[in-house]
Amino acid sequence: MDGGARREPNRGDPRLTPIAGAGKVADVDALEGITVVDCTAGIAGPYTTKVLADLGARVVKVERPGGDPGRGLPPFLHDEPGPDRSATFQFLNTNKESIVLNLSSSGGREILFRLVARADLVVTSSSPANEARLGLGYAELAKHTDAPVLSLTNFGHTGPYRDYSLSETTLFAMGGEMHSHGLAGREPLKMGGTAALLQCGAMGAVAALGAIHAWERYGTGQHVDLALFEVQANSVDRRNSNILAYRFSGRIPERPAGSSAGIAGGIYPVADGYVEVTAGGGNYWNRFVEMIGDDTLREPRWQSPAVALSPAAKEEADAIIYPWMLSHTRAEVWEKARKAHAMVAPLYSGKDIFENTAFRERGLWVEIEHAVLGKLPMLGRPYTLEKTPWRLRRPAPQLGQDTGAVLRELGYSAHDIVRLLAERAVA
Amino acid sequence: MTGLLPLEGIRICDFTAVWAGQTASMYLADMGAECIKVENPYIWNPMTRAAAPRINAAIASMLPSWLGGHPNSDPGPRPWNNSPGFIHVQRNKKSFTVDSRRPEGLAIVKALIRVSDVVAENLALGTLEKIGLSDDAIRAERPDIIILHMPAFGRTGPYTEGRGYGSHIDAVAGSTILRGYRDSAPESNVQIFAGDFWGGMHGAIAVMAALRHRRRTGEGQVIELSQVESSAQMFPQAALDAAWNGREQRTIGNRSIEGYVPNGVFPAAGTDRWLVISCRSAAEWQALVGFLGRPEWAQRLEFETLAGRTAAEDEIEERVATFTSTRDRDELFHALQAAGVTAGPVLNAGEAAEDAQLAAIEAWKRLPATDDYPETLFARPPYRFSVSDVDLRTPPALFGEHNDYVYRELLGLSEEEIEQLAADGHITNTYHPEAFGI
Repeated sequence: MDGGARREPNRGDPRLTPIAGAGKVADVDALEGITVVDCTAGIAGPYTTKVLADLGARVVKVERPGGDPGRGLPPFLHDEPGPDRSATFQFLNTNKESIVLNLSSSGGREILFRLVARADLVVTSSSPANEARLGLGYAELAKHTDAPVLSLTNFGHTGPYRDYSLSETTLFAMGGEMHSHGLAGREPLKMGGTAALLQCGAMGAVAALGAIHAWERYGTGQHVDLALFEVQANSVDRRNSNILAYRFSGRIPERPAGSSAGIAGGIYPVADGYVEVTAGGGNYWNRFVEMIGDDTLREPRWQSPAVALSPAAKEEADAIIYPWMLSHTRAEVWEKARKAHAMVAPLYSGKDIFENTAFRERGLWVEIEHAVLGKLPMLGRPYTLEKTPWRLRRPAPQLGQDTGAVLRELGYSAHDIVRLLAERAVA
Repeated sequence: MTGLLPLEGIRICDFTAVWAGQTASMYLADMGAECIKVENPYIWNPMTRAAAPRINAAIASMLPSWLGGHPNSDPGPRPWNNSPGFIHVQRNKKSFTVDSRRPEGLAIVKALIRVSDVVAENLALGTLEKIGLSDDAIRAERPDIIILHMPAFGRTGPYTEGRGYGSHIDAVAGSTILRGYRDSAPESNVQIFAGDFWGGMHGAIAVMAALRHRRRTGEGQVIELSQVESSAQMFPQAALDAAWNGREQRTIGNRSIEGYVPNGVFPAAGTDRWLVISCRSAAEWQALVGFLGRPEWAQRLEFETLAGRTAAEDEIEERVATFTSTRDRDELFHALQAAGVTAGPVLNAGEAAEDAQLAAIEAWKRLPATDDYPETLFARPPYRFSVSDVDLRTPPALFGEHNDYVYRELLGLSEEEIEQLAADGHITNTYHPEAFGI
């Protein structure tokens, strides 16, 4: 990030001849050489930039004085809050640097504008009102950088809900398929954790990579405008298709009476937990019956569509299936299911995922070494890239740990930095 | 809208099926990649183009609406071209047919691979190898290819033989156990497919990262996206609470893991109308108290702290529900937002389709009628690029719609060769259900 001039895109044809020697070096990162100025906070935006940082981009996280509110998100190590003790924050900010800028001050904004001039991508997650107040709107940023700017907002930059606030639960309620999730006669249900916000962050990363390709290949700088509400309305998890089904047929999905489906299907209790079963029809039924190994269920009559809808038949089948399930553990059921290629899998908790040796041996978990927290396990790669492996280069930053170094890179003298600290433009 | 597309000139030989895979390649097609679906007219990939190749209106009406909500509730003669669950993942793509299990069909697929940049698949493990398309065989045709594999449970380790759809991935990834009612066992949890959405996005991310690496180095690579391991990252709080604190998180219903009280789904006047309220800060709680008219119960000193509200969460929820249950959902929504309280209606699919905000930000684009579906609005990619034409540019690829383009223009086959392949049943625009054996 040296030099005073604006950053030039690393242009190139998609089939450019290889750079001599490149690709033969170990630990090449896919997004090496990309600089991202990250003005996001909370959950969705930081997940977008985490994806880029974990793929090797240099991500400079711009935090407000006091820090990203994400530092206050539970769970905390040993349940004790503290600016570095949030597991959520540590997950969302791996491989990033942190500087603290007070964007309410002209000095803070001037630093931001110098910084974005060096960026290949700027990512923001402020409301339209705060974008205007803090100098983070596209029109303002474009005066200082040619690079693309990705803005994540709740509802976009126009329309009747533009200035409305949002939470994980309202996001899934309005945008996602919450209405049909849960049981008939009861209230609709949210997803676990903050899945909807994280999904929006992942979509931000899709958009960001598209913007990076256009920037590097053609020097195209542009505004990429992403509304979290619209991401959920586009969710492939039934929402997009239920909206299209409504347009096609007028149908509106309702919450079902229970999880079970047909003769066998849904969630069953086993000796030490639960398993998810799909056994409707044809091959799936045959494989399921093979897993159970019961002769009565092998009879062809079970394949008849009329039997599949008969409560008496279901009762008869349940009298065989439930005792079998309850006499096996999750591990036993899943092993037999895999052998039979049956569509059956256990319900795991986060604890199961942490303790599972197969996931660990495959490399799902890595270890961070944090200056304050010490050594701790961390979720690792969401994918494996053969030549540019996902890697943890550094844990999430302490608040403002890179402020001085980044200011010096931007050409500020020691004298300037003292002044900026005194003016509370930086911290 | 001007400017070249981010992935202009990139071609994908697309074997993906179901949702996660077809979504991944759609996001790449949105960015301008030429995504060519390889479709076998003799193999019915379950949950890829419709519930079944032959279904009537009565059966369709018994299926969930995303699956069975065909135009006018009638699947017609080509259900594979109008199931809402699947044509919405075909936008900006092309489709051609070939029976890749036969030698001449495999030769066609290999010719396509030679002019492709990416091969994408999420078929049952080993399917491509069986037809002669191992990674090595693919690389023999195209050394700098990027190969995206999206197995359910990984390509190595003890779970490779596991089979599953989205619901099974949600189960193992830790999603299902976290999303029930607080007072009922997981047996009553219904299916959702959060992992399909997640896996699709991450597949596209990984390919775009690999394309960037190839542009710099000329080097392709193999990507493995284990859908269950990827989806586990949707629930980092549960995984890390276990790893750091030894705690096993279970469902907390509609309450918040972020420390918001109250956070819940409250009944509004009318049938099946619900409003979410999330007090994300002390200020939002005070705003809610004001909105409720400062009732005595809400003014207790201990409620000013999160700990105090958490201790009385049941009571607060009951009181708020009593207030909302006689009032209009949408009036509450707008009035609460105006008062500074985070609130939002639980919109059903029809309400979302008609929502004023989604219309204002132009989330939809009208496509003309085809023989298989009427003129209607389809979703655009959920972001606006101010220069690049990242948009719904071409309608969902119908089955075999681009045979002519692929065989004639792209692969440059002669008329005789094309006639022969058509006579042998490779080139068609219909499935052959008699060959299904299911």
